[in-house]
Amino acid sequence: MSDGLDPLSFLRFIVDRVNVGIIVVDKEMEVLLWNHFMAVNSGREAHEVLGNNLFDSFSGLPEKWLRKKINSVFILKNFAFTGWEQRSYLFQFRHNRPVTGSTDFMMQNCTFLPIMGANGEVQAVCITVFDVTDISIYQNQLKDAMAKLEDMSIRDGLTEIYNRRYIETQLAAEFDRCRRYDGTMSAILFDLDHFKNVNDTYGHLAGDEVLRQVSKTLVDVLRTSDVAGRYGGEEFTVILPNTSLEGGMKSAERIRSAIEKLHIVFEGQHIPVTVSIGVTEFRKETKSHEAMLQEADTALYICKENGRNQSRAYDPKDGSE
Amino acid sequence: MSIQPYNEDQRDALQEITNIAMGQAGSSLAQLLDVFVILSVPRVRIVGVEDVPAAVGEMVDDPEEVTAVRQAFYNKLRGETVVIFGRKGCSDLADLMGYDEVEGDEGEEELLLDVTNILVGAVLNGLGEQIEVEFGFSPPAIMAMNTPIEKVLRSDELGWSHALLIEVNFSLEERGFKCYLIMLMPEESIDMMRHALDHILESF
Repeated sequence: MSDGLDPLSFLRFIVDRVNVGIIVVDKEMEVLLWNHFMAVNSGREAHEVLGNNLFDSFSGLPEKWLRKKINSVFILKNFAFTGWEQRSYLFQFRHNRPVTGSTDFMMQNCTFLPIMGANGEVQAVCITVFDVTDISIYQNQLKDAMAKLEDMSIRDGLTEIYNRRYIETQLAAEFDRCRRYDGTMSAILFDLDHFKNVNDTYGHLAGDEVLRQVSKTLVDVLRTSDVAGRYGGEEFTVILPNTSLEGGMKSAERIRSAIEKLHIVFEGQHIPVTVSIGVTEFRKETKSHEAMLQEADTALYICKENGRNQSRAYDPKDGSE
Repeated sequence: MSIQPYNEDQRDALQEITNIAMGQAGSSLAQLLDVFVILSVPRVRIVGVEDVPAAVGEMVDDPEEVTAVRQAFYNKLRGETVVIFGRKGCSDLADLMGYDEVEGDEGEEELLLDVTNILVGAVLNGLGEQIEVEFGFSPPAIMAMNTPIEKVLRSDELGWSHALLIEVNFSLEERGFKCYLIMLMPEESIDMMRHALDHILESF
């Protein structure tokens, strides 16, 4: 060790200047230590705060709860914590990202640690205040990005309604719910009439526009509890929770007539669109959610045979194989 | 990896110090919360990782949906505690923990974290005193919210083969509150505990 350099004086300096808030309070909540970080951020110098009650010095603190928290450290001799994800901050400080920060105040993680005396009792409690504003901003950006990704992973890129995979998992879940709780549900499968002709006559871009408009109309006419998705190509599926076959047919007719009335114009040309719709409902003997789609498909097929632009409820007499 | 089980003396000593630790935990919690805290007699044993989900399922009365909070502790012994709350959570403890009202998901989460922290702190400091270890603690973190119990601790996600398992239930007199605390100390801590137990046994 070099002459004249006392590690204890380093310690003092480090505690004061480290980029973490450090406060020590005794059982009466009297402040015994208030480091530089706290002074700079609060605008209260140590000499203004030391020896005074913490709550008298800072009126904005959640007193009742914080007293209990500090008290728990005295009694249980344990650590205690606060995290920004639940409580943004303990001390309302401005943060150091005045330009790039999107939050109003410094986000803080705090640790409460017991300072033990020789008698084995807690003499004082040290509170450390960590500035986690940067972390919170990154974390929120990450959360937003994850939410966007999750949304993208369940939607069809072209029409932005749900994709096949999502529809299938929802259908399976709804089917299980019905079977377990003896519930009601219907499923709709529909298909654009002569869609190949649209593509051949007006081009694929026109076809894409038709799919988008049909999807938008579909979402508009359905209830919020209904789940609609693009099943593939020009095929669409709708799950109707808590809906009987009769209700399902009503929804199907609403969809059919709204699409028939659509006035889709692409590059100056009007493109008429109609759909054929098969509807089925959950019955006790229904084997699986796949079987429901098979039934709806059977009804849809009969619509096509009977001249298209119509909807039909599946009848077990139709057979589904 | 095979584990040498504790002998009868070691088992008795472990049960005894755990009982004492829980007694201390109960009395300091009562002092803090100002209500009588009822703790079950702790169940202490070494389990294989494959037994953990069943052990957890057994201890919880209402296994439908639970919320679980984890908190790690470390020193010569290291491990994690998981506190499991039933569907009601711990909102009926809000006033005892100094909350005026609990608002939103964040408020509820914070209350769960606070309750976990004091239970874990009380239990481990009690245990630490018996075996003369001062534990450090990580901040508590939410592990699962409203999740079926069997999904909370899945054996295929745990990276050890054997652990010392301590289970204890907490409830509060005259309140509906109940929760379950599980402490798991994997592999090397089993041997560390054995040394600590032998040390205690020698001193008698």
